[in-house]
Amino acid sequence: MKDVRVWFTKKDECKFISHLDLNRVMLRALHKSRIPIWHTEGFNVHPYATFPLPLSLGFEGERECMDVRLIEEYSFKEIKDKLNESLPSGIRIFDVTEPEMKAKEITFSVFKIKLTSESVNADELYKDINELFAKDEVLVEKKTKKKGFKEINLKPYLNNHKIERNIGGAILNITLPAGSVTNINPLLIQKALERYYNINVYFDVVKTDMLDKNLKSFK
Amino acid sequence: MINKNVEKLLLKVQKPGRYVGGEMNSVKKIKDEIDVRFAFCFPDTYEIGMSHLGMKILYSIFNNVPYIWCERVFAPWLDMENIMKERNIPLFALESGDPITDFDFIGFTLQYELSYTNVLNMLKLANIPIKSKDRTELNQIVVAGGPCACNPEPLADFIDIFFIGEGEEVDLEVIELYRKCKAENKTKEEFLNLAAQIKGVYVPALYDVEYNDDFTIKSFIPKNGAPSVVEKRLMLNMDKSYYPENFVVPNIEIVHDRAVSEIFRGCIRGCRFCQAGFLYRPVREKSVDVIDEQCHALCNNTGYDEVSLSSLSSSDYTKIVPLLEKLNSWSNDEKVSLSLPSLRVDGFSEEILEKINTVRKSGLTFAPEAGTQRLRDVINKNVFEDELMETCSKAFNSGWNKVKLYFMIGLPTETYEDVEGIAHLSQKVVDTFYRCENKPKGKGVTVTISTASFVPKPFTPFQWFPQNSRKELMDKQLHIKDTITTKKVNYNYHDADTSYIEAVFARGDRRLCKVMEKALEKGFHFDGWNDCFFLEKWLKIFDECGIDPDFYACRERSFDEILPWDFLDYGVSKEFLKKECEKAYNDTTTPHCRLKCSNCGAAKYGGGVCFERR
Repeated sequence: MKDVRVWFTKKDECKFISHLDLNRVMLRALHKSRIPIWHTEGFNVHPYATFPLPLSLGFEGERECMDVRLIEEYSFKEIKDKLNESLPSGIRIFDVTEPEMKAKEITFSVFKIKLTSESVNADELYKDINELFAKDEVLVEKKTKKKGFKEINLKPYLNNHKIERNIGGAILNITLPAGSVTNINPLLIQKALERYYNINVYFDVVKTDMLDKNLKSFK
Repeated sequence: MINKNVEKLLLKVQKPGRYVGGEMNSVKKIKDEIDVRFAFCFPDTYEIGMSHLGMKILYSIFNNVPYIWCERVFAPWLDMENIMKERNIPLFALESGDPITDFDFIGFTLQYELSYTNVLNMLKLANIPIKSKDRTELNQIVVAGGPCACNPEPLADFIDIFFIGEGEEVDLEVIELYRKCKAENKTKEEFLNLAAQIKGVYVPALYDVEYNDDFTIKSFIPKNGAPSVVEKRLMLNMDKSYYPENFVVPNIEIVHDRAVSEIFRGCIRGCRFCQAGFLYRPVREKSVDVIDEQCHALCNNTGYDEVSLSSLSSSDYTKIVPLLEKLNSWSNDEKVSLSLPSLRVDGFSEEILEKINTVRKSGLTFAPEAGTQRLRDVINKNVFEDELMETCSKAFNSGWNKVKLYFMIGLPTETYEDVEGIAHLSQKVVDTFYRCENKPKGKGVTVTISTASFVPKPFTPFQWFPQNSRKELMDKQLHIKDTITTKKVNYNYHDADTSYIEAVFARGDRRLCKVMEKALEKGFHFDGWNDCFFLEKWLKIFDECGIDPDFYACRERSFDEILPWDFLDYGVSKEFLKKECEKAYNDTTTPHCRLKCSNCGAAKYGGGVCFERR
């Protein structure tokens, strides 16, 4: 048996597939493509696949991955081609590799976020986002696992970023903690903007990469 | 394709995947290369509509024609509808993301009377005038089909064309005619007059209805050469009838998320309450080889690992065991499981069970429909108590410990003895469990019983019957509750209020159009969903319109009354229905089509079970 890591993009209509549904879509594609992968045993036999780091609903992903287990030798190129035939066009496999790192090594996600607003013009939006990042403290309500909310300070996490001006407002490139220990959803920054400046902002989020604790690309 | 106006709003609603399209096998075409744009509208949510087989068949048939682009449209859920209204976003189709306002055809499938409010609401959301007479150009042709089209009258003011019977051929004939009329610059009126000449087409605007003083129908008269009787269409040869090799595979979970093959149409049984059992006569089977090929192709093309063999009564398929054997020859290796819904109590054999590996041990469902033999004879269910007990024993001995039983209350001639019979029968099932030697060790038994309130439907022997009042139905529900003495039996009942409104529209006439219109004005939608249904509001509208809903739901009709749907011909004669009705009141059963022909009239089509060797 051999573990393989399948790399894919998730865009267009497919960014609205939730993680649970993505699992179903992938299992169906694996079944359709007849790639010899390991199936779970038990009452409800199904192909086994895991996702090192799930992507939030509504985000585009440029470098997502899924791990499966081959039960016999099979060409990586064929896995790629067969799966692409079996998936909706918004999900494209671009590479298949042997995993080099373990899923739990993922420590950061890299995002590219296009900010636009219906309530303020581009200049103002650009000014607001810069100001927000200059504050000493950025308080925002975060949902807790126990269905409640708690207030957290985003400031400690806002240190690896770049803000660019563009026609619609701004582009925010930011690296945020991700993985099993700390997870900061970039939409918390949207919440903070709305809270501090009382504006309405739309975040068009693309997750471009996953990094380990040394900021090296997850492989 | 995601509608650009919508994209930014999608994270504000539940399940945004409902509104974006982009599924595998969905069809995209180039607008300039097509002549007819068809919006196939399902008047309920995405998850329900995408589970519907008829839509999959027609979607595929339409899109196989190069000049037609058929797209899917579903009713937006409440949260999305609010946002669309706030932002003035018209209802759009999933494939192109375009508003359906200027489409050539807006087609609805009518599966359930309580979805009628959604039909009108979807037109309104699409900025399409709801009344047929207010749409004057030759576009935005609103058409409808499906089982509820067998009494089209409550929607007569809104729909331009109803398709009567099975749509595979007639829909295309009408679309082709439209294309011709468009090329010849004909008017909508000219098009409708011509369409009415096609068999299976009903154009309500071409008929005048007059009423007696007591609001029963006095006359129903065609004009402009429209036929006085509209005959249903049907596909006589199921093997040659079009069946898609491919389904649109949803990206989000839907209600029935699996491949489906239709193994036959119609039902031999003739249960007297069941509308489908009469509308789809005669029974027409697909052959084993064709079903096998279709199932295999579907699994290969979609990736589904489950196939459901669909019909009104699966165990009545004449070659069910050979079929399952043939399917098993590849399904086991390819890890595809088979499921067989609609199993009759008397069709549950170990041989069948062995071959459908998926019947999960969690639940088995049977529908005795009535609690006593007398009442089961009245409705012609032809299931006996000892058959039910024998079947349950088999199930318990094979490891099941949960059974669901479906019943109806409010059936014709029902007494309190029959009602109590429901509770007694479920008690006997519990007792049967404890008598089984190989029952699951260390587990108790759960028998869940559900009662639905009987809704008399057109084209059944009970079409003349008054529905029980809501009070009677609720009293019966309480009585069942009181009669159950064991905690092993759970009792659920379907709300009598929705059944009442369903009964009104099921046998309604054109006078109800103004009620529908008012319901739309007041923002009614999703009446099939409990959280959106308010009986008090409905009663208020009826009152404002000066219409007594009891006239439709709770009135006994005489055999010689002109019924609103009498001009439609579904192959089953009114004489036959009258005879069946009389037999029902005499507790007399009618044998099923394979035992003996009862001369219902469907033999006139020249095929199906009527011509099988007996």
